[in-house]
Amino acid sequence: MLVALSMLVFVLLRLAPGDPIDAYINPNVAMSQAEMAALRARLGFDQPLPIQYLAWLRAAVTGDLGYSIQKNGVKVLPLVLERVGPTVLLMFLALVIAIVGGIAAGIISAVQRNSATDVGCSVAAFVGISSPPFLTAILGLYVFSVVLRWSPSGGMLTPGTPFSLSDLLSHLVLPACLLSIGHAALIMRYMRASLLEVLNQDYVRTARAKGVKELWVIIKHATRNALLPVVTLIGSSIGMAVGGAIFMESVFNWPGMGLLLVNAVDTRDYPVIMGATLIIGACVILVNILTDVAYALVDPRIRVA
Amino acid sequence: MPLKMMTLALAGVALAGATMLTPPAAAQDQKTITGGFDVGPGGFQGNFNPLAATGGFTWLNVYFEPLVNYNADLTAIEGAMATEYAVNPGQTEYTFKLAKETWHDGKPFTSKDVKFTVELAKNGETGTVFAARLGAVSSVETPDERTVVIKLSKPDSGFLATLTKLMILPEHALASFTPKELATSTWWATNPIGTGPFKFKQYVTDQYVELVADEDYRLGRPKADRVINRYFKNTAAAVSALRAGEIQFTYVESDDVPAFKGKNEFKVIEGQSFVVNYLGFNQQVPLWKDVRVRQAVMYAIDRQAIIDSLYGGAATAANCGYVAKQLVPEGLNAYKFDPAKAKALLAEAGWDKVNGTKPITLLTYYNTPQAANVMAAVQAMLAQVGINVVPRVVDTPTYNGMIYAASPDFNQFPLVYAGLQNGPDPSGLNIGLNAAQKPPAGANFLRIEMPEVTQAFDAALAETNQQQLSARYQNVCKAMNANLPWATMWVANRYGVASTKLKDFVWVPAPAGGPYNAHPEKWALEK
Repeated sequence: MLVALSMLVFVLLRLAPGDPIDAYINPNVAMSQAEMAALRARLGFDQPLPIQYLAWLRAAVTGDLGYSIQKNGVKVLPLVLERVGPTVLLMFLALVIAIVGGIAAGIISAVQRNSATDVGCSVAAFVGISSPPFLTAILGLYVFSVVLRWSPSGGMLTPGTPFSLSDLLSHLVLPACLLSIGHAALIMRYMRASLLEVLNQDYVRTARAKGVKELWVIIKHATRNALLPVVTLIGSSIGMAVGGAIFMESVFNWPGMGLLLVNAVDTRDYPVIMGATLIIGACVILVNILTDVAYALVDPRIRVA
Repeated sequence: MPLKMMTLALAGVALAGATMLTPPAAAQDQKTITGGFDVGPGGFQGNFNPLAATGGFTWLNVYFEPLVNYNADLTAIEGAMATEYAVNPGQTEYTFKLAKETWHDGKPFTSKDVKFTVELAKNGETGTVFAARLGAVSSVETPDERTVVIKLSKPDSGFLATLTKLMILPEHALASFTPKELATSTWWATNPIGTGPFKFKQYVTDQYVELVADEDYRLGRPKADRVINRYFKNTAAAVSALRAGEIQFTYVESDDVPAFKGKNEFKVIEGQSFVVNYLGFNQQVPLWKDVRVRQAVMYAIDRQAIIDSLYGGAATAANCGYVAKQLVPEGLNAYKFDPAKAKALLAEAGWDKVNGTKPITLLTYYNTPQAANVMAAVQAMLAQVGINVVPRVVDTPTYNGMIYAASPDFNQFPLVYAGLQNGPDPSGLNIGLNAAQKPPAGANFLRIEMPEVTQAFDAALAETNQQQLSARYQNVCKAMNANLPWATMWVANRYGVASTKLKDFVWVPAPAGGPYNAHPEKWALEK
């Protein structure tokens, strides 16, 4: 599977116009084709494509994914692996904010149905769902970093200062909050709809008739049951968050996988694109295998089948 | 109502939690200068190897130094690591007297380092972009520790300009690498050693590069303790950081300038780009063979109107490849906007039969909003005289991939909107216009073969008398104006914006970032 993926990416990259040398040249400061040919030869791009691919594959099976063409010989594997952490951190905080905020707003909206609060939350949710990540990112950057100066405009740490958790958080909160908006809005709508349906169920009416306090009815009897479809939604949100994270990382210069891949594509850094895609592909395959195993453990019928 | 109170409290806690997670960012000290030094067309984020650099020289020159360098006006070449230099009358022997300096690791800088660097730069295995440019170097001699003599096999009027981009490297640190290893070595981005006023401290991948003051720099200890070069995905992000007060300098697009002009906390730095923008006629398609068609394109475009309305007047119309006064002779055809004349010329040339109103792709790599407006204006003006161009914007690698392909599809770029460096060394245009520079030898990708233009360039390049050089390039200008290998448009100004707290800061929008003597040791940040 991974070999097929790597072959597909390799072919697609070579079909795309421009190569790393083309990306290297400043069009305002011309360079001769002969000089470019010498650079290509040094990188092995003058070889036939099958030979280039086999050379890459031979090294890849030994764990050597090559080095970045645009980053002065930095090895691809550590380069990609060091970017996983920041992306996971950004996505994790964004999802936490989305889940907490979305569920809380959904409960409030459902409980205060048709009130000003409900209408306000619903309008905000529609705006959130309708706003593409690149738009919220740019607007958020302008408002919170440039105008209000509440948050740094980019990066993961303040350059040149020693690491501190507060510094990391100050850089993380704004992109995470902005990334969470769309997800929070979606979760809020699901939560509201689901809770409204549950609140009309007989067992909720029974609980109220028995004199259970309203707060307890909402939390224990209604919310727990209303959460089931929301949990399914949260699962699918993780995949969507990856796409959003790419925009956020680009706008906020957050050093994650998204920024690495976007930069690599911009500069046609073939080894980095190949390496990053391979590792992401491996992760997806691994997660799918683990999911299948988990299903089998949870549901014996699957094992039997 | 308890439930309402609880829900409000829950919302409040969520909001407060998010807010409390945002403590103020760790502040940088007053003696740290932070900028986007590699933002914009002159920058080259992520490249640390000066032998392979096609840009980014503003930043590289903060910790590396060349033998000679341009002054900050880009009008003359002066000493850098060489305190003085002499050239023999035949322009084939350059003698440099070297400054007394130590490398950042304390080892002495000597003439052997210069010899080592030049030989390294000539060796294609290092991934150098200097191999062809230094092709005329026949020998490098080191009569003593402070003297270097570079001999050329033939005169090269652009030799000193090439040397300004060649950063001198330490032999003692690099001699153990093979040339091939150097091309991919991490040394450049982990512990490079230079002689500049600041020394390398660290590179945080895709985030920033940090330099610290070299305490024993020969021109005095730098006023700032540290200089940090922050990386940005695009100019807009750098502008946001500047407006947020996180950096003290960045290149900005001309559209951004009004937001900074007249503000006390910012100083707008304006300078000529030294890049001439042109519409390039691909000579491999039959459209542009007749000079009257090329003239019609010039007459059809109201360049001054575009300059006034889209560049805010901050550009100079170009009637040849140059706009510098000493390179532009009297009596050039100014090609004043005259659509009627354009139509007449097209009719004379039989444009209806050559192409008529069939669409012609106008390819460009310029992708800013301003460039989009320029392209739209050019499209509309040409349409008025019966030339139907369709702009196509692609990214730089795609553009380069198309025009520099081994077997290009010329129909993909019958007309291009592009730019080429026209200064401070005027010979920069030769590679794109001289018939001898047709690929693979050079970058004359439009396959222009105009004998008058080629002869004018050849004469200028062979000129050994510096007094005559401007006159030679005036002839180039005349030939370009008459033959129109390109429809030259303008040379636009470029901009940087610096905080007014930044004192004695020198920045010039030089092509590829220069280099030029910016004297970073004098830069200071006022409290």
